[in-house]
Amino acid sequence: MSWIARLRGMLRRERLDHDLDEELRSHLEMRAADNLAAGMSPEEARYEAQKRFGNTTLQKEDTRAVDILGWLDEGSRDFRHALRMLQRSPGFTAVAVLTLALGIGANTAIFSVINSVLLHPLPYHDPDNLVMVWENNSQHPNPHNTVSPPNFLDWQSRNTVFSSMAFIFDGRDNLTGNGDPQEVVVQAVSINFFSLLGVDPLIGPGFTPENGQPGHANVVILSYGLWKERFAGDPAIVGKSILLNGRPQTVVGVAPQNFQWFIKDGSLTGARPQMWSSFVFPQSFHDHKQIGRFMTVVARLHPGARHSQAQIQMNAIASRLEQEYPDFDGHWGVNVVPLRQQISGDLRPALLVLFGAVAFVLLIACANVSSLLLARAASREREMAIRTAIGASRWRIARQLLMESLLLALIGGGIGVALAVGGSNAVLAASPRNLLDLRSISMDLRVLAFAVGATLLAGLLFGFLPSYISAHSRISETLKEGGRGSSSANRRAFARNAFVVAQLGLALVLLTGSGLLIRSFVRLIGIDPGFATGHLLTFKVALPPSKYGTDQLCMAFFRQLLARISAVPGVRSASMESFPPLTGLGAATAVHLLSQPPLALSDLPVANVGVVGPDYFATMNIPLRAGRLFNAQELAEEKHVTIINQAFADKYLQGINPLGQKAAIYMKSFAENEIQPSEIIGVVGDVHQSGLDTAPEPTVYWPHPELVMSGMTILVRTSNDPLAMVSRARNEVQQIDPELPVAAVATMDQLLADSLSRSRFTMLLLGIFAAVALVLASVGIYGLIAYNVTQRRQELGIRIALGAQRRDVLRLVLVQGTRLTLLGVAVGVLAALAFSRLLATLLFGVSATDPLTFAGVSALLAFVALLACFIPARSATRVDPIVALRHE
Amino acid sequence: MPLFKPKNDLLQGTLALLVLKTLARGPLHGYGITIHIQMVSKDILRVEEGSLYPALHRMEQDGWVSAEWGISENNRRARYYRLTAKGRKQLGEEEKNWERLTQGVAHVLQSA
Repeated sequence: MSWIARLRGMLRRERLDHDLDEELRSHLEMRAADNLAAGMSPEEARYEAQKRFGNTTLQKEDTRAVDILGWLDEGSRDFRHALRMLQRSPGFTAVAVLTLALGIGANTAIFSVINSVLLHPLPYHDPDNLVMVWENNSQHPNPHNTVSPPNFLDWQSRNTVFSSMAFIFDGRDNLTGNGDPQEVVVQAVSINFFSLLGVDPLIGPGFTPENGQPGHANVVILSYGLWKERFAGDPAIVGKSILLNGRPQTVVGVAPQNFQWFIKDGSLTGARPQMWSSFVFPQSFHDHKQIGRFMTVVARLHPGARHSQAQIQMNAIASRLEQEYPDFDGHWGVNVVPLRQQISGDLRPALLVLFGAVAFVLLIACANVSSLLLARAASREREMAIRTAIGASRWRIARQLLMESLLLALIGGGIGVALAVGGSNAVLAASPRNLLDLRSISMDLRVLAFAVGATLLAGLLFGFLPSYISAHSRISETLKEGGRGSSSANRRAFARNAFVVAQLGLALVLLTGSGLLIRSFVRLIGIDPGFATGHLLTFKVALPPSKYGTDQLCMAFFRQLLARISAVPGVRSASMESFPPLTGLGAATAVHLLSQPPLALSDLPVANVGVVGPDYFATMNIPLRAGRLFNAQELAEEKHVTIINQAFADKYLQGINPLGQKAAIYMKSFAENEIQPSEIIGVVGDVHQSGLDTAPEPTVYWPHPELVMSGMTILVRTSNDPLAMVSRARNEVQQIDPELPVAAVATMDQLLADSLSRSRFTMLLLGIFAAVALVLASVGIYGLIAYNVTQRRQELGIRIALGAQRRDVLRLVLVQGTRLTLLGVAVGVLAALAFSRLLATLLFGVSATDPLTFAGVSALLAFVALLACFIPARSATRVDPIVALRHE
Repeated sequence: MPLFKPKNDLLQGTLALLVLKTLARGPLHGYGITIHIQMVSKDILRVEEGSLYPALHRMEQDGWVSAEWGISENNRRARYYRLTAKGRKQLGEEEKNWERLTQGVAHVLQSA
């Protein structure tokens, strides 16, 4: 029946039904007529005909079923057949489906994270044309250094690649009036900030050009969150006045709910903004001598301009600025970074590595299922041969087997997607909250399309080889040989061995990666941060200038606060620092050691500056290496003394006694004749300021009176749980000034954990995937050896009957397993050597080809694989020769 | 779930052979086929009429037989089945299979 006829048949189904009725009726009538002729009564004749025929409706349905089956296309027949075959061997189906569900599920979960983090549209207009513009200094490599205002002005006026440029710098301000005082993070931005990003406020006009005029800049835009929480979503908020640091500001808009702007590298507060205030450069911002580098700059490329063109032009501008202002801009260049790359920068390498890892897991899963199918194909070879003998074409058989594979893949994929929904939320829960800002990971169409694609690809991948071999087996050979020793059986055996080797190799690559990350992590957490992190509470207090306008007021406040907190029972000591370690913040500047020749400002040594309160080094447990600590007098008034850390002494004062040296620290001014040099009175141990994975930087410490800062982080060393002390500490602050908020409350242990979170996240996930890979590969080699033992049952029986010892049989079976394992390890080591380089950016203190890791994971893999072989090998020794020989 | 189930495996296999053989003599309708088989087998083989039509329709789909409406000896409309070339080849196969089977069974019976 041709396709067209079948199609026509489908269209004329009713007529066919009618035909069938008539055919059966004519049969009954002919039988009844014959019965009548044989002498029955009419009723009898009809009754007997009906009885012989049986249930007409049932027959009709059976017959129609045949017809309908014919109408349905052959694919669906294959599908049904496949379903039956899978039902018939539930064990095989369960293992295959589960394996695939793991592989597809892991891939979908990681892809959904990548989709949300790397591919999701940013909440700005045409985000691909947005770039960050940073300064970078060839002598102190930090590719994302903040920008100085005068340089920004020069860039803005000289470039032709950007349609506009905006600046941002953030700070913490006190919001008072209507409700408790609250510290809010405010980003001061140029008035074109929102229009450059192409974002309109949810309500209100936003910043208008007239806000750029001096005297009209006291306007703010609220974040959606702040508007909802603090102002209860007041729809009439626009036009109202709020008090920021005691000064009135007019609200001109509320940002859309999904809008945010947080670039970790340039942030001075390390926190997400709750408000934006328009900022107009005062006169001092035009002068290189008066202002440092502290702004973040975003720019929009002209339509058609490329990132690389922008970089080239900005290089040219930077080199001219270097010549014009050698003191300030010497060695300084410009780095243009696409916004998307900037945002995902921290997590991007980790996610790509994980994506590669799950792809490997899926490949291993496919090899496993393919191997299972090959084993099954061998036992179904006679079925296939007979089907070929009665006329089924090769294509027909291959198609039927492929249909079984696709069906397996579809079921596995379905379960996999369900696993992925749970899995991606688990990934989210394990992910670093300071890196990945997602509340939930959406399963959008792209993720589903990916899952379907992965499923179909997997189905074809593992189904192709088995069906190809089956379709090309020679019938005569198969029937003669009973399926064993035929060329297709040889091909199958080879393919299964190859699969096992490949699986072991892939698993070894993942194990190596995971081993390297674990070793990195162990190295990392083994590093002494340079101070004691336990039982240490930190929180920030920032004094509003409107109320604490003088140094005396600030110093008095902090002196009183520290005295009060130290007196609280359970507090062992308390102190303060301007930029405590592990918060990701810091201030750095040029230092001129007077014993050394003067240099241009940009050529001077660079050091971090830390401003500390009384008992700082004791509270932090930072050891004194030489000299002495600040005395009470130095902590009460400006005495021009400083303490340096060991890194400073090692880097800038090699072979010189640092004590008594004088250093001009460029903090309060950039003109050396205005700087009062500080005398070095002591050397303390190094602290990892930016994280355990970065080396300690040269640092100078000043007592608070030397550089009075209004915002300080209070450090409280407690005897018990530091978090239990939070409300007492807040109480002490508000006893002195009820309008003051307490911000950024955390224990130092939490900050340490946060600084390790990316390493922990990557290590954890890669470890899980490597474990899955190890299990799958072990199941793979176990399955192969177990199958071979079953196939050789007869031979083993004969050997045992002829006197082979258990030991001999064990060796016979294990030799094959060992050979495959060693081959797999060899392949894996080579592949791991090639792939582990991709991990380099994620490693710390371990080389990508670390021999210890390679040896360790190879041994682990070999051990587990041989263990997997040992189980079937032992069962081989238990073969009962009599049973084995009687079989067949 | 399979859409139809064979009632009797042996009959299912041989029914095709018997039907093909019957149609080898010439086109015939379903009822005629049952009568013919019953007659020629001297009443030993009775086609189970219920399984005949599903079998005929399946053979039609496999292209072993073709069908068309005609008028029976006693002037009834009936569906006539005719053996195709493919069906004739199939008949040869089935006959050979059958011979092999009966020989096999005969050997077993003789040796026992």
